[in-house]
Amino acid sequence: MENEKLSLPNYNIPEDLENVVAVTTLDRLYNWGRRSSVWPLMFGLACCAIEMIAAQTARYDMARFGMEVMRPTPRQADMMLVSGTVTKKMLPAIIRLYNQMPEPKYVVAMGACASSGGPFKEGYNVVAGIDKFLPVDVYIPGCPPTPQALIAGLIKLQEKIDRQSIKTVRWYNKEKKDGNYVPMPILGPDLIDVRRNADIKQAAAVAKVTQESA
Amino acid sequence: MYGKGILKGLSVTWKRFWDTYTEDISWMLRGKKRYNTEEGIRHRSSKDTKGIFTVQYPEEQLIVPEEFRYVPFLVYDEGADGKKEIRCTSCGICSKVCPPQCIWIVRTNDPSTGRPVPVPTNFYVDMDICMNCGFCAEYCPFDAIKMDHDFDIASYDRNVYNLDKLLKPAKYYAEIRPENYTREEEARKAKEAAKAAKAEAAAA
Repeated sequence: MENEKLSLPNYNIPEDLENVVAVTTLDRLYNWGRRSSVWPLMFGLACCAIEMIAAQTARYDMARFGMEVMRPTPRQADMMLVSGTVTKKMLPAIIRLYNQMPEPKYVVAMGACASSGGPFKEGYNVVAGIDKFLPVDVYIPGCPPTPQALIAGLIKLQEKIDRQSIKTVRWYNKEKKDGNYVPMPILGPDLIDVRRNADIKQAAAVAKVTQESA
Repeated sequence: MYGKGILKGLSVTWKRFWDTYTEDISWMLRGKKRYNTEEGIRHRSSKDTKGIFTVQYPEEQLIVPEEFRYVPFLVYDEGADGKKEIRCTSCGICSKVCPPQCIWIVRTNDPSTGRPVPVPTNFYVDMDICMNCGFCAEYCPFDAIKMDHDFDIASYDRNVYNLDKLLKPAKYYAEIRPENYTREEEARKAKEAAKAAKAEAAAA
């Protein structure tokens, strides 16, 4: 695996100490711990959840990747597996769960509905993709993805974790606003993403000016 | 008596554990491999299996039936000197029948005459919208779009596939769906023969 060679410190160990001493980087150690214990948050939104349950059974056995412990509380979870259609009514609850998760936190969009809205992408009551609100790490296509496809996506997430560095990850990055806390969207006639309030206000001001001048 | 249920449950676990080793040894004595072989995976996914039946996904995969479908791909025939002869004529039937509307096609026009050419300039399928229904493959009159068996396509970005990524040779299609392929080839040959006979009759 190419990931084995990641973040190896370029440090020469004397020959007589080679079997005694091992040198690694803090990143490598940190990522090794992270990738081997990605605990998912236990919640399912639609039919994809059934496949997620199937992936936990003995036939596929997600425990082989250290992901068997589905946590019912976000305080103990590392990964949010958005498995299914995200309705506008459900979204505030999902954002709240995401905000309650301690870092490191990963978001996996499982299936067509979570990645893009799928067949309901133009529906009045469905969010067209959770990536409009949360930073998604891995997109898994399929409707629903088979358990093996889900595991393939989770392996992809592990590979991503391997390449991360404490210095650059989004939850320690002060400039990246949605790394740790995503403001709650307002459930109105149409869903309002409060992060875009400034943009909307500016657009409204521009529209007003053009209307007055016309 | 208290604890009877626990003992019963543990005995099931113990039986499974024991069965795994007896099965392994019996397969070994028969000179067969229970893991990482097609026969072994087939046996472990059958109802007669005993002991462990986990399919260790990245190392080995479940054997899917021929009609298993995941996302669509475009078939091309390999012409002379390795040229890709795309079967698709960009008629747009697939994009019309697609329930979630995830297919969009860029058609080609002849630059000199401005008339349409039956080859797509580009062909996009948004795999993150695709609901794997298989309508596109069902309706395509040219057998140009087919459903793939490859499910290992998760990525870090939205999966919007273009023509380059969608094109796969007819050889690959014959490999994953042998029965369908032979049936379709026979139908195509019969149609061509009928056409030739008709042309002959008209000439005579």
